[in-house]
Amino acid sequence: MLQFMKEGLSGRNGQYFAVVAAVMLVAPLIFWKLDLPFAANAMLLCLMFSIMAMAWNLLEGYTGQLSFGHAVFFGVGAYTTMILMLYYGVTPWVGIFVGGLVAALVGLALGVPLFRLRSHWFALATIAVGEIFKLIFISWDYVGGSAGLQSPIVPEEQKLYYLQYAGSYVYIYLALGLLGLELLVLYPLVNSRIGYYLQAIREDEDAAMSLGINPFKYKMVAMFFSALFTGIGGGIYTVRFRFVDPFAVFDLISVSVYITIAGILGGIYSFIGPIVGSFVFVPISEYVRVYIVSRFPRFYGLHVFVLGVILLAISLLAPEGIMGWLEKRGYLRKGRETGEVRKE
Amino acid sequence: MIGLDYVANAVVSGILIGSVYSLVGMGLALIWGIMDVINFAQGDYMMIGAFVTYWAFTLAGVDPLLSVPLSFLATFALGVLTQRVVIERVLDAPMVSQITATFAVLLMIRYGAEAAFGPYTKRIYVPYADVIYRFGTVSLQLPRLIAFSVSLGVAVAFYVFLKTTYTGVALRAVSQNRMAAYLMGINVRKMYWIAFGIGVGISAVGGTLVATFLPIHPEMGGFYALIAFIVVVFGGFGSVFGAYISGIIIGVTESVSALFISPSLKDVVAFLLFIAIILVKPTGLFGTEQR
Repeated sequence: MLQFMKEGLSGRNGQYFAVVAAVMLVAPLIFWKLDLPFAANAMLLCLMFSIMAMAWNLLEGYTGQLSFGHAVFFGVGAYTTMILMLYYGVTPWVGIFVGGLVAALVGLALGVPLFRLRSHWFALATIAVGEIFKLIFISWDYVGGSAGLQSPIVPEEQKLYYLQYAGSYVYIYLALGLLGLELLVLYPLVNSRIGYYLQAIREDEDAAMSLGINPFKYKMVAMFFSALFTGIGGGIYTVRFRFVDPFAVFDLISVSVYITIAGILGGIYSFIGPIVGSFVFVPISEYVRVYIVSRFPRFYGLHVFVLGVILLAISLLAPEGIMGWLEKRGYLRKGRETGEVRKE
Repeated sequence: MIGLDYVANAVVSGILIGSVYSLVGMGLALIWGIMDVINFAQGDYMMIGAFVTYWAFTLAGVDPLLSVPLSFLATFALGVLTQRVVIERVLDAPMVSQITATFAVLLMIRYGAEAAFGPYTKRIYVPYADVIYRFGTVSLQLPRLIAFSVSLGVAVAFYVFLKTTYTGVALRAVSQNRMAAYLMGINVRKMYWIAFGIGVGISAVGGTLVATFLPIHPEMGGFYALIAFIVVVFGGFGSVFGAYISGIIIGVTESVSALFISPSLKDVVAFLLFIAIILVKPTGLFGTEQR
């Protein structure tokens, strides 16, 4: 694992990484000092979608399984964190990881039937699974039904235990830490034997099988980590927004499709593409939502329309995404960090 | 125990609403069958049909029945435009690009409509909305009965169109073998425009029909799009006849299962059925073509 980190972070890449990491660590302090809640919130959402889009990309970009059902894992992670906190007084420091694990187990359970399906059948079935989860949570009284659940209000001295802070500033560090953890887990994974098996399955499942790779087994490995980190993203949502309801966390558009947009926009054949994609589309969407839609409620939905335009432009003009586009024009050196196999 | 009259009522209302599912599903089946592209925005063209009807009724007092051709033509034009600007460019692209492109169209239509028309639920009150016929214990609302009749008429007309007209035969030829059809002198590109236009136009007729008895909303298309996928998969890939029958079966399944479980879970039954079918028999009930 350390070997991979060394290779990935040597030379130029290491310098870039250090600069970006330093900016990310200092930015929340600046936002806090200058009192810029919008910027802080947008940055938190960027990081949250980075975590989830990277996890999603393990399935789509590396394994070739296009999922529109990641809201399931997001929602399960969010609800688990909330239920543990609200009903059992478990700190979200533990709850977020338990939420991730529960989401991963749900992912494995869903993988058994879903991975028998290929290409667009898989995509369609994941949409149906997302809707099923939404409808079940709406009519499940234990989790608050359609009204959802709200975090307990805690006294001042328990702020750290229950992770309740005003604004997004503190949560940015939480999200940064979790994104760092994800990089530490996924980077070695995709550069290992398993990562190459996954890409072989993406390129040609039958050929991979004839080489002795068990596609189902490795798809399940990808599903486990993909669901795990998407569930962790749900946990961040719970601690930051303190309210979960089925319509918000299991939404096809504002969760599953947003994750997909982040991945596609950044470039699905690139490891860090989804992070780039998140940091491009979330600020645009948030800007339109907060500064135009909130002021003129008449234009509700405009921010999603803008995302539609972005998604259309990228699918027609540069289906390889921002990272692939940069690479094709020689602004990026082709290498480990930007994905290996082109899908032509 | 649930009385037989409840079941009879549920079956009848399932058939009536199912005929609308059939229209949306038939349009999807046509596009899917001919171009091998899944139109994720199918339900949103239906929503456009509902809004055309709403505005025609509210602004000009046009009876919803008269706006059937209006919403068909408006959506047909929008469909041809979509085909020219978007779908044509991704026909030979990888699956991911096709799916994301139609998803982008979905986001633009659904949320463009929301930004333009406002995020509020709207209703049409037609003069005959409260006319109810009773046959024994079964009661029928006139608008739903009209919806069923129009849907059946459109389905028959569409079937005749596909079987007898030159364009219909050419469409079927293109769906079977694009290259051979091209060599026989069929303008394949034009056939694709027509196919996409008719596919979304039929869906819009469904939107017009539900607008007479259900609330309309810019985000209403999402539910019908999912139902349309179920209809197509159930009826068999590319089978327009199968889509009509299976739409009605889905409608009945939903409304009967609403009697036995919580009404909010009735769609779960349909979605589970969907997953079960694609796992067991992806070619559907009436499909023979192996994909």
